[in-house]
Amino acid sequence: MIVSHSYCGVLIGLLVVMIGSFFTHLLVGPVSLQWLNIWSAIIENKVSLDSLIFFEIRLPRAILALLVGATLGISGAALQGLLRNPLAESGIIGVSNCAALGAVLVFYFGFTQSVWFALPLAGLLGALVSVVLVFLLAGRSGSTVTLILAGIAINTIAGALMAMALNFAPNPYAMQEIIFWLLGSVANRSVGDILIIVPFTLLGWVLILSCGRFLNAMTLGEETANSLGFNVRVLRWRLVVGVVACVGAAVSVCGNIGFIGLVIPHLLRPLVGYDPQRLLNVSALGGAVLLLLSDIVVQVLSSGGELKLGVITSLVGGPFFLYLILKNRNLWS
Amino acid sequence: MKWLLVLLLSLTSCFAQEPMPQRIVSLSLCTDQLLLMLAPRQHIAALTQGAKDPHLSYMAAESSGFLLTKGRVEEVLSFNPDLIVGSTFASQDSVHILKQLGYPVKLIGLPVSIAGIRDLLLTFGQWIGSLDRAEKVVEKMNRQLTSLNLQQARVKKTALIYSPNGYTMGSGTLENVMLNVAGFHNLAVDMGVVGFEQITLEQVVAAQPEFLFIDNPMNDSKALASQYINHPVLDKMLLSKQRQFIPYRLRACAGPMVVEGINYLFESYHDSKP
Repeated sequence: MIVSHSYCGVLIGLLVVMIGSFFTHLLVGPVSLQWLNIWSAIIENKVSLDSLIFFEIRLPRAILALLVGATLGISGAALQGLLRNPLAESGIIGVSNCAALGAVLVFYFGFTQSVWFALPLAGLLGALVSVVLVFLLAGRSGSTVTLILAGIAINTIAGALMAMALNFAPNPYAMQEIIFWLLGSVANRSVGDILIIVPFTLLGWVLILSCGRFLNAMTLGEETANSLGFNVRVLRWRLVVGVVACVGAAVSVCGNIGFIGLVIPHLLRPLVGYDPQRLLNVSALGGAVLLLLSDIVVQVLSSGGELKLGVITSLVGGPFFLYLILKNRNLWS
Repeated sequence: MKWLLVLLLSLTSCFAQEPMPQRIVSLSLCTDQLLLMLAPRQHIAALTQGAKDPHLSYMAAESSGFLLTKGRVEEVLSFNPDLIVGSTFASQDSVHILKQLGYPVKLIGLPVSIAGIRDLLLTFGQWIGSLDRAEKVVEKMNRQLTSLNLQQARVKKTALIYSPNGYTMGSGTLENVMLNVAGFHNLAVDMGVVGFEQITLEQVVAAQPEFLFIDNPMNDSKALASQYINHPVLDKMLLSKQRQFIPYRLRACAGPMVVEGINYLFESYHDSKP
């Protein structure tokens, strides 16, 4: 009972912090807004300069940061549980870069107009390819070293293919934009960008959350999970499809924002008593908080938009990754 | 003694008039266009590939039949040029090597005033031995500008340019000069923008220009860069009329086509469509 109480406490606490970060994010921007005007826009439907900036620029950006942050957090927790590996994360094992490759191919070669979901679908398919590859290369053994090496290989190949695709793209700006795909950003997005990823994102979250109890069983090993009545084959695929659906969609509009999926589950795991099912929920909230805060830092440091979000998250996540390796060096060798 | 004086005089006049270069190679889009406007056809040895692109080059139609290069040193040397012209802001590596090899290289800058454009045309005309043609072009330019100035409205209208990747053009740009001559006040100058600088969508909305000029040089939406100029908020701005900015070929380089670009803006100034 005590554990469940504190779990509720953690959940509510994170929710409050997330809502706080969300509203702080809305306050930040190059133009100072008259909040009364926004209020009258809501009440009397009166459009003003301030309401235009608020509803068309700031709100989409904050919502996108929240959705993408939550996606990265929850998918990190899911992948770490599934592969039973503390270093599994969509950026590290190459899922994000492969999703970005899929999105790049569709975006720059003009297939985005074909169907509205072309972009997130391409991200999803790219992500799926990488997860299958990771499974083939490292899934069975569960060894951290194999996983990381497979991840490096997949990341490198996907990054190189992306650079090649952008080189051949029939557009003078394409080559500069590799920075966006490798580092990610939520700047200058519109409501339309959110609408195209929402279905995929929600589908992914539902699939992942429905596998919570399966992840708990997986901590005891695949065979035990099987004997406990979980259909490991089916559930594993359900989880994988969930991860690639939401990560693929997120990357296809925001690029590859690194390290959130790695840092957040690690920070929060002790708070939920190392329970993988609970970790999914809190990681979603924590991921949203971290991305919202990182994007606030980005906006404070550079208003023109040159600084990419992934720079900040990597500056936080990179040293943390190093710390993890040093801390667990003896454990893994 | 008299014949000696005549000889001396004719000699000095020979020195004063530079020999007309016969094999001119151009290294940049801007010098391509000046050559096509001012030089006799048979004196142009080679232009760059940009010259034939109708998006970039005002003289695209006139460029057919000329050899086009990418401005690489090897290509240039194969013409054994007696004059190489280029821009200070293009092909710097090639220019450096060609100078070291002892070839006569002359570079133009990008003037940011109407007077600067006149000077450039005359100087360039002198380099290639076609000063008379250059004078005619300048005269025509002056006539067109005077007729524009006569009709120019007294009230300045506010304007802002927005380009891919969120760039705008402030003081010290040809685009700013063109806006001013056409009767606009560029709000980017008030924001303190010098040259080309990025501004955020929020700043564009908050500036509330009477005219928002969208600059889409490549006419292409398949880049993230274009998401700035295609953002839905720009269509919802309350007090602003949205217009396409001057076609790139009329402002990429300094020359008489700038007047046509100003005329294009001037028409926007007067049309009252929402």
